[in-house]
Amino acid sequence: MIGLLKCEYRKTRRRYVFITALVITACELVFAFYGKYEGFILENGWMSFLYQLPLINSIFFPVLSIVVASRLCDIEHKGQQLKLLCTMTEKGRLYDAKLLYGLGIVSLCLAVTFGAEIIFGKVMGFGGELPVKLYLIYMLFTAAPTFAVYVFQHTLSMLFKNQAIPFFAGIIGEFAGLFSMFLPQLPALRKAIIWGYYGVLQFVGLYGWTKETRYENAYFEIYDRDWTFFAVLVVLTVVMYLIGRKLFDMKEV
Amino acid sequence: MLLKLLKAERMKLRRSPVWIAFIIMPVVPALLGTINYLGNLGVLQSEWYSLWTQHTLFTCYFFLPILIGVYCSYIMRLEQNNHNWNRLLVMPVPRGLVYMSKLITASLMIALSEIWIGALFIISGKLCGLSAAPPWLELIKWCAFGTLGGIVMAAVQLCISIFIKSFALPVGIAFGGGISGLALLAKGYGYIWPYSLMAYGMESNAPQEAMTVSSGPFAVICIGYIALFTIAGSILMSRKEL
Repeated sequence: MIGLLKCEYRKTRRRYVFITALVITACELVFAFYGKYEGFILENGWMSFLYQLPLINSIFFPVLSIVVASRLCDIEHKGQQLKLLCTMTEKGRLYDAKLLYGLGIVSLCLAVTFGAEIIFGKVMGFGGELPVKLYLIYMLFTAAPTFAVYVFQHTLSMLFKNQAIPFFAGIIGEFAGLFSMFLPQLPALRKAIIWGYYGVLQFVGLYGWTKETRYENAYFEIYDRDWTFFAVLVVLTVVMYLIGRKLFDMKEV
Repeated sequence: MLLKLLKAERMKLRRSPVWIAFIIMPVVPALLGTINYLGNLGVLQSEWYSLWTQHTLFTCYFFLPILIGVYCSYIMRLEQNNHNWNRLLVMPVPRGLVYMSKLITASLMIALSEIWIGALFIISGKLCGLSAAPPWLELIKWCAFGTLGGIVMAAVQLCISIFIKSFALPVGIAFGGGISGLALLAKGYGYIWPYSLMAYGMESNAPQEAMTVSSGPFAVICIGYIALFTIAGSILMSRKEL
């Protein structure tokens, strides 16, 4: 496996995959940090981030996953490389190596995002201490849907030579996931699609905000963490991985 | 000559499933945006205008730019695969016309999706039981200007896809472009930046307010950009090794 991962690294050298992923991450950070930090928001900055960031993550991380998965898998589709590679190693191992390499890139971007968010909060002088435990759970609850989406995109990108198909499937799913976050009256919708889990696992809500009084009576509330649906998501990810690996194994290259 | 090239483009795209995305994608905001509208009638009181905002807000900023990026990447990919550029460029056809035929093909798809967005808007409004008459003239204007802004985006994306021989990278740039468009729109420069022209034309964030730039100058800006990027694309095709 180490050998295969080294091969992946060599194949992607000077293809700017990591830089592309970092640029998307930078866009997310600019988008997330844009705004006025004063009064209530500055005082409750840490909670405000935990409330706002899942929505922003649901826009950017699926796109990051689509682009990274497509870039890595497209190398093989171009020039019929899969025919050559599958004579040298098992198809399943190739699927795993590409998946691990892609997840590594996505994990690095997640780490950069989390680090930047905390540094930004410190520099801006958010009120109170950093709620370390809540932020660790937030990181876990952001990484889990991102990995699920990545496994889905990786499978589609490996299966289809036409990369427009995984792109379209991913974008439509992401769109549905983003909208599901604005529909609390339809909790089943966000639970039914992997892109909706950024919302399912969100555990901070804002109450008391109105157009007239704005933040005068506003407050943040921490919900119970939904470990049941976190477990459901992990199981879903494993099932998608097993099905994807099997489908790739059966595919004629 | 151009008609023949368009026919050739159509033949290349036959049986390709990419058009399906342009049909399915607008259904998502139409369905979920309408549910959101019905759930927030207390806040969203401007009937058809509020419904339009719900249908188009995210579509213009994030999703249509990506779809246009994917479509343009796909159109160019057909030539990049198997050295098709070499075959295409030895034909006795001006390179500018080749670029234009690809741009027109993408434009038709954008126009189709705008018409579909408009149709879904009317159907949703009727199903919601909105009492006022639909704002037909404004709807036609939003869709026409949205198409025009989308064509500008497609012209830029085709240039990028000539320059970068990757499928995913231009789509990433389209996504970044959509976000930059949102930022510039918020700053009041939506009528200048190619990636914000579509959202600006569709008036997705404030359909009741008058555009800061009136219809005439907006159309001139769009046509100017389309001409500029068509020339740039033709020059790129002539100078760059494809």
